[in-house]
Amino acid sequence: MQLLDIRNLTLELQTPDGAIRAVDRVNLTLKEGEVRGLVGESGSGKSLIAKAIMGVLHERWRITADRFHWCGEDLLRLPYQKQRQIISRDIAMIYQEPSRSMDPTAPIGEQLAESIPDHLLQGVSWWQRSYFRRKKAEALLHKVGIRDHKAVLSSYPYQLSEGVCQKISIAMAIAKDPKLLIADEPTTALESTTQSQLFRMLASFNQLRGMSVLLISHELETVARNTDTLSVLYCGQLVEAGETKDVLQSPRHHYTDALVRSVPEFQPDLGFKQPLYALPGSIPTLQHLPIGCRLGPRCPNARKECVKTPVPERQQNHHYSCHFPLQQRGSDE
Amino acid sequence: MSKLLEVKALSKSYQKASGLFKSEKIQALQDISFSLNAGETLAILGENGSGKSTLAKLLVGIEQPDSGEIFYAGQPLNCQDYGKTNHLIRYIFQDPARSLNPNQKISEILHAVLTYSTVLTFEQREQKISQILRQLGLLKEHGNYYPHMFSGGQLQRVALARALILDPKILILDEALTAIDPSLRAQIVNVLLELQQDTGIAFLLITNQLRLVQHVADQTLILHRGQITDYGTTTTIFSAPEHDYSRRLINSAQWN
Amino acid sequence: MKKLRLYYEEYNRRPYQLLWRHFVTQQFALFGLLSLLSLLLIAIFSPLFTPHDPYLQNSALLNQVPSWQNGGQVAYPFGTDDLGRDLLSRLMLGCSYTFGTALLAVFGSLAAGLLLGGLAGMSKGVKSSIFNHLLDLALTIPSLLFAIVIVAVLGPGLQNTLWAVMLALLPQFVHAVRHEIQHQLKQDYVIAYRLDGANNLQILWSVILPGLWEPLTLLFTMALSTAILDIAAIGFLGLGAQAPTPEWGTMIADALDAIYLAPWTVALPGLLIFITVLSINLVGDGLRVAMKKRREI
Repeated sequence: MQLLDIRNLTLELQTPDGAIRAVDRVNLTLKEGEVRGLVGESGSGKSLIAKAIMGVLHERWRITADRFHWCGEDLLRLPYQKQRQIISRDIAMIYQEPSRSMDPTAPIGEQLAESIPDHLLQGVSWWQRSYFRRKKAEALLHKVGIRDHKAVLSSYPYQLSEGVCQKISIAMAIAKDPKLLIADEPTTALESTTQSQLFRMLASFNQLRGMSVLLISHELETVARNTDTLSVLYCGQLVEAGETKDVLQSPRHHYTDALVRSVPEFQPDLGFKQPLYALPGSIPTLQHLPIGCRLGPRCPNARKECVKTPVPERQQNHHYSCHFPLQQRGSDE
Repeated sequence: MSKLLEVKALSKSYQKASGLFKSEKIQALQDISFSLNAGETLAILGENGSGKSTLAKLLVGIEQPDSGEIFYAGQPLNCQDYGKTNHLIRYIFQDPARSLNPNQKISEILHAVLTYSTVLTFEQREQKISQILRQLGLLKEHGNYYPHMFSGGQLQRVALARALILDPKILILDEALTAIDPSLRAQIVNVLLELQQDTGIAFLLITNQLRLVQHVADQTLILHRGQITDYGTTTTIFSAPEHDYSRRLINSAQWN
Repeated sequence: MKKLRLYYEEYNRRPYQLLWRHFVTQQFALFGLLSLLSLLLIAIFSPLFTPHDPYLQNSALLNQVPSWQNGGQVAYPFGTDDLGRDLLSRLMLGCSYTFGTALLAVFGSLAAGLLLGGLAGMSKGVKSSIFNHLLDLALTIPSLLFAIVIVAVLGPGLQNTLWAVMLALLPQFVHAVRHEIQHQLKQDYVIAYRLDGANNLQILWSVILPGLWEPLTLLFTMALSTAILDIAAIGFLGLGAQAPTPEWGTMIADALDAIYLAPWTVALPGLLIFITVLSINLVGDGLRVAMKKRREI
C-alpha cells in the first residue's frame, strides 16, 4: 500500500528580494515496509522535506503540492487539528543531535513515559497507570538494546553519551508503533561502532514490525548499505530516484555519477593517493540559485537546453530528470 | 630520509572535579610515541574520549604535555613558542565557521596572520595572499568577503589558506573533513593531495572515516582511552589488526 | 527599497551595514531614533536657541496657560510657571541637564566599565574570582537606591548626582564586559589567533573589542534610560539639581504644590521624560531585533 505519495512538492520562502524556491517540484513515494534513502548535500532541502512531512515547518515557508497524500488522505486539505492527529499517530522522527532534541530538564524516565500514547493504556485502571507506563518504558529500552534500564531511566540527557541518547530517541519514536520513521541524519554525531548497531536496529524494526523508514543522509556509503530505494536531491531538485543498487551501479544523472565517483568506497580500482573525481565549483547558496537545472553551472555535460528545468523521465522504476542523461551501464561495471 | 616529526612517550592528564571537594585525575594520553616523515600522511583513529583531540592540541601547542618529548627534524621542539613553531606545524579546526573572526574580512585575517608571524612588506603580503587564494581555488575578490558570506566547503578552504600561508611542513586536520559534504570533501582532498605531492608537506589526519583513511593515509594510529592499540602502515592494520578494539572498529566500517 | 540591478553584483555588506538595514525596516525603532537625535540636538544647542531666558522671572505673567488654551500667548508656547519663567525655555535647558547629564554619566560608566571589565576579564585565578564575585554583589543593589546613598554621602547637587549615577551603573557595565570577554576568549578563533602568533594586546584590540560592540550598545541604551529616570527621581526628591536649575525632575517637584492651578507645569516635564525614555527603549528594542535578524538567513 502507498503510505506516502507526494507529487511536485514546492517549498518557497518570501524574502525582501523575492521568493526563493528551496525545494522545487520534488516527487516522493513510500510503500509500506520500504526503506527509502534521501541523499543530498547541504542546501538540498532534505531536512525541509522531512519537516514538511511532519508538519513542523516554520510559518514563513509556503507549501504547495499537486498531491500530498498519506495513506490516501490529502494532508494539505485537512484542517490543522486533523493533520496533527494523523501525523502524531503514524509518523515519528529522530534527529541528528539526539541529546539536543530531548528535554534537558526532565529525566529520561519521565520523557519516555510521556511518549507512550494513551490508547495503549486502555483497560488499565487509573491508579495503575504510572506503574504500567514505567514498565512499558523499561520494555522499550530493552527493545533498543539498553540493558541497564535503572541507571538510564533516572539520568538526564546530558549525562548520557550520544549513542545512548539516539537509542532512547528511537525508543520514544517506536513507543507509538508508527507506520513511518523519518531518520534525519541519525548517525552523524555517533561513532562507527554505534552507527552499525543503530542500522541493524532499524533494519530489524523494518522487518519485524513492517515499519517504513525514510533515511536522510549526505553520506552515500551509509545509505547504500541500508536502503532498498534511493532518492537523490541537489539544491532542492530531485535528480534521480529508484532502487539503490540500480541507481548506484548505473546512475543516469551527472550529479549522482559525480557523487558515486567522489566516494572512494565505490571505486575499488582507485589507486592509493590518486585524486578523487569532484565536480568543479561549489553548491550555490539560496540567494543565487541557477535557473532551470540547478546543476547547470557545474555539470560537465551542460548545454544550452539546460536553462530549462528537465522533465522527470522514467525507465523501469528508475526516475531521473536530465536533458542529456548518461547511458545505461552494463551490470558488470 | 630523516624523520620530520618524532613523538616519544607523550602523556597528559586532567583534573576533573568530582563531588564537592574531591577531584579525580583523568589520564587523557598515556605514553604515546610515533613518527612522521615528510610527504606522508598519518591517520589517527579513535572514538570520542580516546584522546585524539588532546594529542592534536599537544602537538600544536594549545596544551602542554605532562611528560614526553616532541622532536622536529631531530631537534627538540617547544610547541608553546607559537612564533617559531607556527612556521612548522599548523592546525585546522573542525568547525571553520567558529574558527574565523566574523567581524573581519578574509584578506584582513590573512594579513593579520602574516603581520604577527613574519616580517614582510605590504606588497609582499598582498602577493602571498593572492597566491595562496589562487592555489586553493578561491578568487582574489574573495578576500573582500566576510566569513558569513561563504558556504561550508569554501570556509574550510579559507581556513586552509590561513594555515598554509605560513608554508608549514606539517598540517594537523582535527576532524576537519568530517562535517563537509562528500563532493566538497573530494575537492579538498584533491587539493591536499596535490599540495603534498608538490611541496612534501606531511599531514596528521584525525578522522573517523575509514575508507578515506585507506585511500590517503600511509600510516595509521588507533587510540583507545588514551593508549595506542595499533600503530603501523595502513595496509597492515586494515588487513590484520592486532587488538580486539581495533578489529571491532575496522569491522564496523564494513557494516555501515 | 529595491535598487535597479542591471548587472548582478555582490553586495559585500559589512556586518554593521546589515544591522542598519534590519534596523531601518522597523518603523517604531526608526521613529525612536529620530526623536532621540532631535533630543540630542536640543540638549547640545539649547543654550543658544531658547526663546526667552530660562531664569528670567516675569512677575506680570505668573502661571500663564499654554498657547493652545484660552488666554495663552504664542510668545510663551508652553506657558509659564509660578515664578513667571517661560516653560519652553526651561524645558529645553532641562533637556541638556537631564538628558545631557545622563549621557555623560553613561559614557563615563562605559569607559570605566571597559577598563575594569577588561582587567577582570583577561585575568585568571583566585584574585580575579574574588574580584568578580565582589562586583556581582554590587549588582544586587538597585541603582536608584545606590545613587541616593551616594548623593546622601556627597551632598545634593547636579554634579554629585552625575557621580552617583555613574557609580551606580558601573557594576552592570563591568559585569557585561567581563562576561563578554570571557565568552570571547573561549571561542575557537581566539585560539587560532594565538596560534598565528598574536600576543594578548593584539588579541584584545583586533578580536575582542570589535566583538564587544554589540552587547555594549544594547547595554548602553538600557543604562541610558535607567540613568535618565534616576537623575529625574533624585531631582524630584530634592537631592539632585537644586532650584532654580531647570532639571526636569526638580521642575516637577517644584510645581507639585500648584498642580491644581497650573497642571501643565507638572505634566509637560513629565511628558518629556516619558518621550525620552520611550524613544531610548524603542531604539534599544529595535537594535535587539535587528541583531537577532542578522544572525538568521
